[in-house]
Amino acid sequence: MIVADCYIASKGSFANGQKVHALDDGEENWLKTLYDSGKYDYPKFHKMDNLSKMAFLGTELIAKYILPEITENDELQLVFANSNSSAQTDLKFIDSYQNQGNPSPSLFVYTLPNIVTGELSIRHKWFGENIFFINERFDASFFIHQTNFAFKRGNKLCLCAWVDTTMNPSEECFLFLLSAENSAEISRERSAEMHEELTNRINNYRNE
Amino acid sequence: MIEIFVTGYGAISSIGNNVEEMLQSLLDEKSGIQKGKLPHSEKQLVGEIHFTNEELIKKFGLKTTGSRTGILGAIAAKEAFANHSINAEIRTGVISGTSVGGMDTSEIEYRNLLEEKPHNVANYQFHSSGNSSEQIAEELGIDGFINTISTACSSAANSIMMGARMIRQGMVDRVVVGGTDGLAGFTINGFRSLMIFDEEWCRPFDESRKGLNLGEGAGFLVLESAKSIEKSESTILARLRGWSNASDAYHQTASSPNGQGATLSMTEALSVAGMKPEEIDYINAHGTATPNNDLSESQAIINVFGSKIPPFSSTKAYTGHTLAASGGIEAVIAILAIQKGYLFPNLNHRNVIEETKLQPITTIQKVNKIRVVLSNSFGFGGNNSTIILSE
Amino acid sequence: MNELKENLKAQIIEQLNLEDLTTADIQDDANLFSDDGLGLDSIDALEFIVLLESEYGIKIADPSEGRDIFQSVNSLAAYIEKNR
Repeated sequence: MIVADCYIASKGSFANGQKVHALDDGEENWLKTLYDSGKYDYPKFHKMDNLSKMAFLGTELIAKYILPEITENDELQLVFANSNSSAQTDLKFIDSYQNQGNPSPSLFVYTLPNIVTGELSIRHKWFGENIFFINERFDASFFIHQTNFAFKRGNKLCLCAWVDTTMNPSEECFLFLLSAENSAEISRERSAEMHEELTNRINNYRNE
Repeated sequence: MIEIFVTGYGAISSIGNNVEEMLQSLLDEKSGIQKGKLPHSEKQLVGEIHFTNEELIKKFGLKTTGSRTGILGAIAAKEAFANHSINAEIRTGVISGTSVGGMDTSEIEYRNLLEEKPHNVANYQFHSSGNSSEQIAEELGIDGFINTISTACSSAANSIMMGARMIRQGMVDRVVVGGTDGLAGFTINGFRSLMIFDEEWCRPFDESRKGLNLGEGAGFLVLESAKSIEKSESTILARLRGWSNASDAYHQTASSPNGQGATLSMTEALSVAGMKPEEIDYINAHGTATPNNDLSESQAIINVFGSKIPPFSSTKAYTGHTLAASGGIEAVIAILAIQKGYLFPNLNHRNVIEETKLQPITTIQKVNKIRVVLSNSFGFGGNNSTIILSE
Repeated sequence: MNELKENLKAQIIEQLNLEDLTTADIQDDANLFSDDGLGLDSIDALEFIVLLESEYGIKIADPSEGRDIFQSVNSLAAYIEKNR
C-alpha cells in the first residue's frame, strides 16, 4: 500500500495531498525557506545540491511513517530515479575549474545522483539497499516493479523518489513510501491500481 | 530458485581490447597504467585506452557512434553478445551503469564553443547517461528493456544484480549487464580536487598507499535463465550465485572505519548465494589504493571471514580505477580466474597495512581449482555492492 | 590581524555554504572540525586548501598537513601571516 507521499517544488511542500507550506512564485531561495519553515537542525543541508536538498525536505515530512524496527533490520530499501542525473551540479562543477580555475571538491561530491540516497542514509542511519536509475520520465510502474523485488526478499518498506532538476526552473521531488501488505508481493491488479493512483497524485501536485 | 547463468562476457580496458588480451596481460603481470596521451589526460598517470573515438569505431567495426563512454560500452557489450543473436522468443534487455555518461564528449564541444573553434552541436545528444545504454542496445540490435544505473563505482555491479533479479522475476529471459566509463577532463579534475590521486603507480592494500590511478573501460556479461539457454543454445561460462547492495551511511565520499556497509553487502551476498564464507576461493577486492577504502575494506573482510581470509587481490594496479565500469570489468576477471585457475595478483605491493595486516596475493599463482569468487564494488555515497560468481 | 580574521570568517561562510551563520557566530579559537565548533568534515578541509590558494596564493600539497593549520580561525590566520 501507499503509506504516504509528498511533493517538493518551488510552489511549496505538500504531503498526502495537502499543502504543508506554500511558497511565493519565483522565490529564489525557496529551498532555504522550506528548510527554515521546518526548523530542522541539520546544518549539513546547506552544503547539499538541489537534488539532495529536495529529497531531504521531502523525507523529513514522511520520516515519521518509517518505524525504527524496520530500519534496524535493514528492511527499508531506497529506489530513486530521475532523467537528468546530476546535470545541474555537473555544470556548476565545470564552471569551477574552467572559469574559476579551481575545481571545487564540495561541488564534485554532488556530481553523482546517488549521493542523494547517500545523504538520506547518513541522516537517518539507513543501512539497507539503495539504488539510483536514470529514466526518461516518471513511470510509477517502474518503481512498483523495483519495490516488488524488495518485498519478495522480505523487505517491509520501500522509499521511492523521482527527484529531478531540469534545465527549466521546474525542479521537483515526488517521494512515496510503499509497504508490503501481508508481506506478499504486489499482485498484477494491485500494481495497476497503484500505478494509476501514483500517477494521479504526481499530476495533481504538478497541476496545483 | 531460477538459476542465473553467464553465457557471454566482454571487456575493454588499458590492459586489453578484449577478454583474450586482458587475460594475457593479467598472466604477464603487465599493468596498463602510464602517462596519458590524450589532451584531457596529459601528464596524468592513468589506465587509458590508446585510441581516439574515431579509431575505436573503425577498429571495432561499430555500427553506432556516440560519446567515448557509449563507444567503449558498445565494444565490450558486442564482444559479450558475440555468440548470441536476436530471437523473438527470447526477451532480451540491456542494463548499463555509468558515472560520466557522455560528458567526455560534451566537454570537448563546450571547450570548442568557448574558444570559438568549430564545434558540433549534434554531439551534445550523447550527453545523458541513458544515451550510452541506448547506444549499446542499438549496436546489439536489442529493443527490449533498456535501463541505466548511476550509482558511481558500484554501478556495474548493481546492473548485474538488477539483471539477475529481472530474470528471476520472469520479466526478461536474457540480459546484457555491466558498466562503462570513458576518461574525461571532468573526472580527472574532480578526483584531483578530492586529492585522492597517487602521482605514482598506485599500491592497493599497501601500507604506503597514497591514492588511486584513474582508468577507463567497459565490462559486460550476458545473463540467462536455463529456459532461455534451451532456445539460444549458448555456452555456459559461469554462474551468478549471489548479489547484494547495502548502505554505509557514513560520509558522501569516505568509507566507515569499521567497514559497515561493506560487511553488510558481503554478508548478504553470501546469504543470497546460500554459501558460507569458507566457500569463497578468491576475493577480487574493490581495492582502489586510497588510504581510506583499503583500510575500511580490510576491516570488512576481517568482519566477514574472521581468521580464515581467502586469497584476495585488487586488480586496480593493472587497470586503474575504471569507476562505473569496474564492477563489470572485474566480474569478467573473476570469471577468468574460475575458468583458468589463476589467482591474479595485487601488483605493486610491498608491505601489509599495519592496522589489519592482511596479505594479498602478489604474484600470479596457478591453483588446482577456483570454484567461487566474490567481487566487491563500492561507490561514493556509501553505495556498497558485492557479487558472487562460480563455475 | 583582526581584519584578516574577519575576512577569513566571511570567506569560510561563503566557500563552505554555511548559510545559517554570520561572522559573529564563529569564535576565533573554536575548533572548526568538532561538533561544538562548526562540525566541518574532510571535504570542507579540501575546500580550505582551495581557499588558501585562490585567496592567499598559498599552496598545500599534502592534505594531512591541513589538520593543524585549519583547526581554528586563529591557526589559519597565523599560518597565512607566516606564509603569504
